[in-house]
Amino acid sequence: MDLYVAALGFALVSASVIAIAAVGFTMQFGITNLINLAYGVVMITSAYVAYALNQLGVTIWAGLAAGAVCGAVLSYLLNRFLYAPFQRKGTSHIGMVIISLAASLMLTNVVLAIVGPTSVSYTQDPGPTIRIGAMVLTTVQVLIIGIAVLLMLVIHALLTLTRLGKAMRATAANPSLARSCGIPTGRVIDGVWLVTGALCGLAGTVAAMNSDSFAVSNGAGYLITILAAAVLGGAGQPYGAMLGAVLIGVMTELSAAAISPEYKEVVAFGVLVLVMVLRPQGLLAKVGALAPAG
Amino acid sequence: MGRRNNVNGLAANARPGLARLGAIALAAIVLLAACSGATSTPSAAPSAAAASAAAPTATAATPLVVGVLAPFTGPDAALGPAYFAACLPAVREINAAGGVMGHQLTCKQFDTRGDPADAVPAARQMVASTPNLMMVIGCTSDEASSVAPVLEQNHIVSFCMTGQSEFNKSSFHYFHRLVPPDEYDAYAMVGSALDFNHYQRVALVFGNDIGSQAFVAPATRALTKLGATVVINQAIALGQPSYRTEVTKMLAAKPDVIFTEALGPTDATYLAEVKQLNGSMIPVIGTSATIDPVWFKAVSAAIGLPDLLKYFQAVDVSTTFSGPGYDAFKAALLASAADFADAPKYAQRGATLHLYDGVVMTALAMDTAKSTDPAVYNPVINKIGNGVTGATVVNTYKQGVDALKAGGSVRFSGAAGLTQFNEWNNSQGGYILVKYDDKGGEVTIGQLTQDQTNQIIQAGGS
Repeated sequence: MDLYVAALGFALVSASVIAIAAVGFTMQFGITNLINLAYGVVMITSAYVAYALNQLGVTIWAGLAAGAVCGAVLSYLLNRFLYAPFQRKGTSHIGMVIISLAASLMLTNVVLAIVGPTSVSYTQDPGPTIRIGAMVLTTVQVLIIGIAVLLMLVIHALLTLTRLGKAMRATAANPSLARSCGIPTGRVIDGVWLVTGALCGLAGTVAAMNSDSFAVSNGAGYLITILAAAVLGGAGQPYGAMLGAVLIGVMTELSAAAISPEYKEVVAFGVLVLVMVLRPQGLLAKVGALAPAG
Repeated sequence: MGRRNNVNGLAANARPGLARLGAIALAAIVLLAACSGATSTPSAAPSAAAASAAAPTATAATPLVVGVLAPFTGPDAALGPAYFAACLPAVREINAAGGVMGHQLTCKQFDTRGDPADAVPAARQMVASTPNLMMVIGCTSDEASSVAPVLEQNHIVSFCMTGQSEFNKSSFHYFHRLVPPDEYDAYAMVGSALDFNHYQRVALVFGNDIGSQAFVAPATRALTKLGATVVINQAIALGQPSYRTEVTKMLAAKPDVIFTEALGPTDATYLAEVKQLNGSMIPVIGTSATIDPVWFKAVSAAIGLPDLLKYFQAVDVSTTFSGPGYDAFKAALLASAADFADAPKYAQRGATLHLYDGVVMTALAMDTAKSTDPAVYNPVINKIGNGVTGATVVNTYKQGVDALKAGGSVRFSGAAGLTQFNEWNNSQGGYILVKYDDKGGEVTIGQLTQDQTNQIIQAGGS
């Protein structure tokens, strides 16, 4: 029993990391209508930027901010100079997916050429161990959970209380109408890429902080989990992504405790497939949708 | 559900069918995962063109290519550079001696990504695009089973770094192996645990890739028959961000020692979490693949150098890292740093030494057979390795060429010493027990006696 309680604790940490990333990913899709397959590599690139600073003696918490900035800038540039021109030309959805796949491969190889295949670790003090029953977490892990909760609240506030958030929702619902109403949708889209890119960069850095060792090859793995969480919760639904992250995190950790760990992803994705069969629109599609997706 | 709920979601207008878009994305993700890591050579490894340019001036004869068919990307990306580092000094030495019958050699990388599904097209592409392919080195356990038939069909001489037991007695005539099968690696780990360190409770923590899983069954058999206990057997998914649940489960089984091979960032992550959740490290014994500069760097960064030096041991194929053959190899390897900056790091990597020997042996076989036709020179390779009556023992390619020109026959004793091929082109030496020094070099700490080795092999059922 203790093992399962401990696994639940680790699941909370995993879910926190996935949630930060998945919310950014699903917002990108929800507002820009683009499945950005370069998301995972932007995460790992941000993690390496934080690592570079960390190696210069900068604390990893400052590196976290640098990771967010890197994610924001890189995502903004990707959209401005790659995705947006193709979207303006009316490239099909599948065409955009392929373009983002190409961007992912190119960026991966650029990063690989710079940092090499060796895995690296942050210099960080995990802090005192915190024990809650059978749950054993480091201070850093508890802080990661705290960061995730804080970011979810900030995203909620952004979408519901700010003009930018409302403009984002309006743009997501109907960009033509939003433009007619005087909303500068171009700048809103830029804002979306900056905000979601920052989430992406933060997610990459906290994922690397949590995993003790990371390499360029981790980027693709991140993306698969994020996509699963986003689809499970309902594509384009930030709250759905949060729920999806928790479910994916819990399922992977509990299945690692219950059966052979090599099947933990199989179990998680098996549940994903089941949900897709029974509820293709995702768990929260109708609850939070502006348009009737489900 | 009303207005309040609606404002909290985001959904793009004119959204294409979600199911359709999801399917597209999932398909792309699969493709991305397959390509992850991805298609370029590591930064530290030069391109084939660079390696070629570094070679001495080419003659009019057609240059020949030594293909390095190995993972250069993906979780096992650390393996390819170790094999590329074997090719460069061999080619440098051969070219400096005038090439093989006037043919200059070059090294060329072919990335298998460590995946059998990617390896077959990589091998086919290599064959199709490289008509002057002299031989292939690399082919790890990740891909050897899938590429060996391709190489055999095309009569391509190969020296593979696979430990899979299916090659112990295979019908592949062009396949060669200078390392023992993985089960012997596993037996050496068992010997290290039981006879050298006197551990009794063993946790098996291996990556879920083909190559790493090859150790599990023989280790389990030998441990069980010799009275030790396998307290847990974990096949861990490579490249996961965390293994804390797996580590908690493993620690609950209270092992004395962990046997492991999980490459990429996996071992580093797993062992760091062992240290964190246990409060300190527990002893670890790695396979010969864990004696690797990339593994050393990753794990020492993750758990700290003092703990790596204190708690980690490994097994490696028996090499003395000395003698004239080794000295020649090392000199050429250090000179190759101009082409591949990381080359000197592989001066004490058994696989690098063995594959270097394989290239030089094949070149000498071609000189002996006076042919560039693999069907002609392939049968001669074993004669160069084992020697024939009256053969002169040579330690470098130039010595070999000079001896052949004098009308004699040669036996090559290279960087890793003498070889002794059996009828299935396998040459297997003994094992040593090793650990790292603080620079990542290999330090021999023991050797299993022949009696101990025989006892374990018998227990393992081989």
